[in-house]
Amino acid sequence: MSQDENKKILIIEDEKELAFSLAELLRSKGYKTFVAHDGLYGTSQARNEKVDLVLLDIGLPAGGGLFVLENLKRSVLTSHIPILVLTAQHGENLKSNVFKLGAQAFFSKPFNPDELLESIKKFIN
Amino acid sequence: MENKNIDKSLFNLMTQELKENPHRKFHTAFALMSIIPFLVFLYLLVGRLFTIDILSGNIGFIVAIAAFISVCGFCIGYSIINRILNKVIFYAAKAKHSDQLKSTFVANVSHELKNPLSVIEVNVYNLIKGLAGKVTENQKRVLDLCRGVVNRMVNLINSLLDLHKIEAGMLDGKRELCNFSQILDEQVKEFNALFNKKHIKLKREVSSTDLALWGDREKIGRIINNLLGNAAKYTPDGGAVNLRVRPDKNLLRIECANNGPSIPPEKIAKIFDKFERASLEEGAGLGLAITKDIVEFHKGKIWVEDWAGKGSKFIVLLPRDLRRSQR
Repeated sequence: MSQDENKKILIIEDEKELAFSLAELLRSKGYKTFVAHDGLYGTSQARNEKVDLVLLDIGLPAGGGLFVLENLKRSVLTSHIPILVLTAQHGENLKSNVFKLGAQAFFSKPFNPDELLESIKKFIN
Repeated sequence: MENKNIDKSLFNLMTQELKENPHRKFHTAFALMSIIPFLVFLYLLVGRLFTIDILSGNIGFIVAIAAFISVCGFCIGYSIINRILNKVIFYAAKAKHSDQLKSTFVANVSHELKNPLSVIEVNVYNLIKGLAGKVTENQKRVLDLCRGVVNRMVNLINSLLDLHKIEAGMLDGKRELCNFSQILDEQVKEFNALFNKKHIKLKREVSSTDLALWGDREKIGRIINNLLGNAAKYTPDGGAVNLRVRPDKNLLRIECANNGPSIPPEKIAKIFDKFERASLEEGAGLGLAITKDIVEFHKGKIWVEDWAGKGSKFIVLLPRDLRRSQR
């Protein structure tokens, strides 16, 4: 049994097809997945489900990704959760802002799934 | 009415942009200009060259007419210059506004294109990994092809975004002290798999360990990435790519040579133009145009030479201390 098995990953992504495909990929690797399509629900899921890692989109309805990232990193309950940012937004300042707010990794869409899986493995443990 | 509102909002936009009210500046300048004839008049009065008696004399009527014409000229001149100023402000604001709209449009379009591409990428990956059933070698090859096309589309979108930024004069970058050796290592590592696949021999010659330079790390990486990408594209299977870095006190000279087809002399002058390609290889012909813009952003130079009759050699000169160099 893999040591990552049963680790919980929350996908906060408004593009439903992408969230579904990602969840399928992660489940095939033995992770438990939760999906939220907006910032507000994503923040509450991160708190309630005690997840081990968050994949966070930036362009989100009901609280943009940066706001969610800031909230999760500020809260005592969720500040320890590694957050990997996935975004289609283009901007050199965005990357540095995301790291300043405490994210562990930054992926530009479309990302290489192998690199994402490697990064998840690195930060989830 | 609507037009007036638009004019007003554009005017506000422009004054915000200038961080001052151009009308106030104009009035101040006009008032200062008006002081000059007043001072001349005062001088004549004090020097008794002009007295009130003149007005009751023979030339009084002419002086009065002249004064009237001067006041009218002053008012008409003021009105004309003010109208021209308003037009200039309006068109400048309109151009700025349309640039902003274009930027927003380009950013939104690229965002909307990248999301579905991510869905394709992850799903094709899932298929290759057998998440939807066993995949034969032939099917895998087709799926790999799809992933390659997705990558090409992403590169194209990114290039168009960069190009738009450059054309809109919005290319910005950091000025940080970069370790060029590290940038080189990262970029070469990225291309290793592709070079191995094509059996291309990459020779690296770096004549010094001190390769520090000021610039934007990400953008300098992009220069090397584009040069190596170009070499990988045009070098035939089993070919050779030579990457040489020669630093001196003020400049870093980077040479990237490949034994792909030589660039015809008539194409050399145009090779750094947008949408220009040396041959019919895949690509949009934006890579070298963007590379040139980034090099020039760093106040450097780029050109291409024939590589001893066996291919082409791209040469980049980058100032090591961007803070001191003059364009």
